[in-house]
Amino acid sequence: MVIAKSPDSDITGRSHRYLDVDKINKSLDKVTSNGASYAEVRLVAYTDYSVAMRDGKLERAIPGQEIGATIRVLADGAWGVHSTTDIASLEQQMNPTLKLAQSVAARRSPKDRPIKLAEVPIIEDSIHWTPKKDVRNTELSERLEHMKLLNSSASGHDNIVSVTCGWHDENIHTEFLSSEGMNRTWSFQRSLINGMVTARDGSEVVSYRTRFGGEGGLELIESCDINELGNNAKVSALRLLKAKRAPSGKMPLVADRDLTGVYIHEALGHPCEADLVAAGDSCLDGKLGQKIGSDIVTVIDDPKIRGGYGAHPIDDEGLDTTEKCLIKNGILTEYLNHRETAEHFGIKPNAGARAQDGLHHPLVRMSNTLIHGGTHADLDELVEDIEYGVYACGSRGGQVDTGRGSFQFAAQEAWLIENGEITSPLKDVSVSGLTLQILKDVDGLTKDSRLAAPGFCGKGQTVPVGDGGPIMRISEALVG
Amino acid sequence: MILLPNDALDRLQDGCKSIADRCNSLGITSWEIVASQSYGHQIDIEGGKISLAAGGGEGGYGIRILEDGKFGFAYLVDVNSADKAINSALSIARMSPSIDGFVLPYEQSAKQVSGLYDKSIIEMDSEDLLTQADAIISEVASLDKRAIVTGGGIGVSANASSILTSEGIESGGITTSHGVGVQVSIEEDEQLTSSWQSNSSRSKLIQVPNCVSRAVDWAKLTRDPIKIDSSLDESPVLMTSEGFSPLFSVVVPNAIRGDKLARAESFWSGKMNQSVIAKDLNLVDDATIVGGRSSGSRDGEGVPTRCNSLIKSGKLVGSLWSTRDAAQQIAEGRIDIAKTTGSAIRSGHQSPPISGCSNLFLTSSNKSYDLDGLLQEMNEGYVVNSVMGAHTANPTSGDFSVTTSSILRVENGEIIGSIKQAGLSGNMAKALTEGVILGDNVRPQGSYSSGTMYVPNVLISQGLRVNPA
Repeated sequence: MVIAKSPDSDITGRSHRYLDVDKINKSLDKVTSNGASYAEVRLVAYTDYSVAMRDGKLERAIPGQEIGATIRVLADGAWGVHSTTDIASLEQQMNPTLKLAQSVAARRSPKDRPIKLAEVPIIEDSIHWTPKKDVRNTELSERLEHMKLLNSSASGHDNIVSVTCGWHDENIHTEFLSSEGMNRTWSFQRSLINGMVTARDGSEVVSYRTRFGGEGGLELIESCDINELGNNAKVSALRLLKAKRAPSGKMPLVADRDLTGVYIHEALGHPCEADLVAAGDSCLDGKLGQKIGSDIVTVIDDPKIRGGYGAHPIDDEGLDTTEKCLIKNGILTEYLNHRETAEHFGIKPNAGARAQDGLHHPLVRMSNTLIHGGTHADLDELVEDIEYGVYACGSRGGQVDTGRGSFQFAAQEAWLIENGEITSPLKDVSVSGLTLQILKDVDGLTKDSRLAAPGFCGKGQTVPVGDGGPIMRISEALVG
Repeated sequence: MILLPNDALDRLQDGCKSIADRCNSLGITSWEIVASQSYGHQIDIEGGKISLAAGGGEGGYGIRILEDGKFGFAYLVDVNSADKAINSALSIARMSPSIDGFVLPYEQSAKQVSGLYDKSIIEMDSEDLLTQADAIISEVASLDKRAIVTGGGIGVSANASSILTSEGIESGGITTSHGVGVQVSIEEDEQLTSSWQSNSSRSKLIQVPNCVSRAVDWAKLTRDPIKIDSSLDESPVLMTSEGFSPLFSVVVPNAIRGDKLARAESFWSGKMNQSVIAKDLNLVDDATIVGGRSSGSRDGEGVPTRCNSLIKSGKLVGSLWSTRDAAQQIAEGRIDIAKTTGSAIRSGHQSPPISGCSNLFLTSSNKSYDLDGLLQEMNEGYVVNSVMGAHTANPTSGDFSVTTSSILRVENGEIIGSIKQAGLSGNMAKALTEGVILGDNVRPQGSYSSGTMYVPNVLISQGLRVNPA
């Protein structure tokens, strides 16, 4: 039932524990003595604050508090999982979760490989990424000031019919205890501001979204030039009113760093997730060590890039996070993995486990995913030898079929490239392709690589991610 | 493990009363307390076998406070911390703009909607689900020995919810659901094809649902793609219920929200009582249908639900309103008359209500066709069974540009083969304006909380562009 103890915003997260460590450790010992080969409890306590503003007026503000915990028990090579907001019930749910795992194990055929976990260092510590300005100390009025600035910079034209602004900040506190002796707590914060500008001209109606944020406290939002963010969104929305529909067909594509990030997230990142590879649902199965991209393609996933929206110090199996190099100079070098898949493939664990919150079990997920920079000086140099193509900017999201290796992503706005020049604005540009083809077709990258706008990734569970890279040129992509 | 404690609803209602008492003692006169608690069992399938069994529950309370037309909201998990949440909501209300005429809805009697609860689901345990998961895996293997379930699973849930307001609304109930989703893949001769299909119901799914065989069928149908002339541009497209619903759900529910129409943020803004889609088509939102996935006797703020006619014979005749949105649009002078249509939705206890759809039906007064009949009517074109990137459709303009790897080529009324990949683009509003023929088989798709699309197979004759890769 509903929990007995709730997060307290006055608590800094440094010393307070929601779990009774002695009691949970005893129950973990008991469940292992009853037959579990491994058991863990992960608790996540959130305090968050969401605000929505429309046309400069407060629409809604939602302060919230959530707490949830998940028990995972591995027995006879199979998992049992129990998630609850009722923290007081954790000890009594340990044995039923063991039985759940044993029920799954009993139904497996002898030829099914039992689940085992890769060995990892056992650590007892606390890691707190302390922001310069704790979001929990931020007044609503202060949040509103930033949002009003975004609203005013995005407004002020007869064709702008509305501007909505959003805010979300959160403090995430996690506690992790395992039967192996792992005892870790960690905490960090995320902050985000976003806006959507809707413009109308007669029957033509368009919208443009903008977003800024990442791991960190209020200082992150204060570092943003909100005037520029809002004004750019306004200009883009007004430009979309005049934009033509995009041409269709195969042609060269130049993508800004927002779209480059979404491209690499969808086209490469997801097929690199080892749980999908193990399930037979990845086009990259069996391709470790093989050349799958052009020489200039090097891709990393790094949860330790502070400020990235996917940054986190410890993964949701209690491992220190680390940089993963997925592709180096076109060669597939590493899958993202968690302990189960690391053992499955006989590879080193690289701390890729993430769960949406305390009520979900960890899956293999991306964090901050980037293409490294190349040798081109700037956008002009990338487009100068394109006779006819598209320059696409800003992301409206994407999707991938990891098994087939086909993907799609959509741009917020775009331009035609004609004879080496960026010319007419376009709208409704989407790009699709096949991972194993298009990685080979990357033939130009600018030098500067960095994270772009924050995003969210869905895989049954939703987690915040950072994506980015340089400006990228693909010699041939299917533009719709 | 027990799916739902016997006293789950009582405990929720007691919690609501406790928070309400705190509101009253703090001198707050206009309040609304909602609570929800869900419990579930779930079996995940990966790589052709059961990968894990999970269970658990979650829940909490939401508090909406109104003071002089200003509202504040907060949510919490622990009744004992209610004072803090109430004070947060109150301080937010005091910083919010006042909306003239905005009051919480008053109590009206609501007719019970049946078919939302199935005791046999409550009685299911993990062993029952494991047996069903085994049956799904076996069924797939028996339909095609090459096929395996690479992802998905099966789950049951029970959700207790409650609402208590200062205006006399006191209601609560328990709903159940049982769902299956499978990703079936066939990999042979270095060619992998797959299909995701799902089915969900408020009642227990007794047998392996036919979504499983559909997934196998589509994984087979899309094998051995053919090459076709890619110069073809605008083309008739027959979108299956599963293929059309995701696009429809991103664009249309947004366009028929009263506040979006009033704010000129819908492509149908300013077109009330005008023809907006083909004259044989109707759009109805009905939260009262028996066993409907998004049915309920009351909406998210306790107002009795009803059947709302939105588009009749192609004409826009209605829109969806919550209490606050209606009051706000009148107060801000965008519209003269608006009132709640019993269409307030909320995603659990963590959010205040907004206007939205429940069970959204697209129907036609013309003859409907089975799949073969639709193929004959189309003669030449494509069948699309799923799209990638439906969420990237633009809800404001109705424009979309998506990709499909589940597409078949039709010539002379017959399927001649699959295409490996194609782009599909168009505008939802324009595509529905003429030459639309509906099928006779609706397979509901969507979310229990934010709307279910009851859309059949749809043959769209104009306005869509197909670009085979």
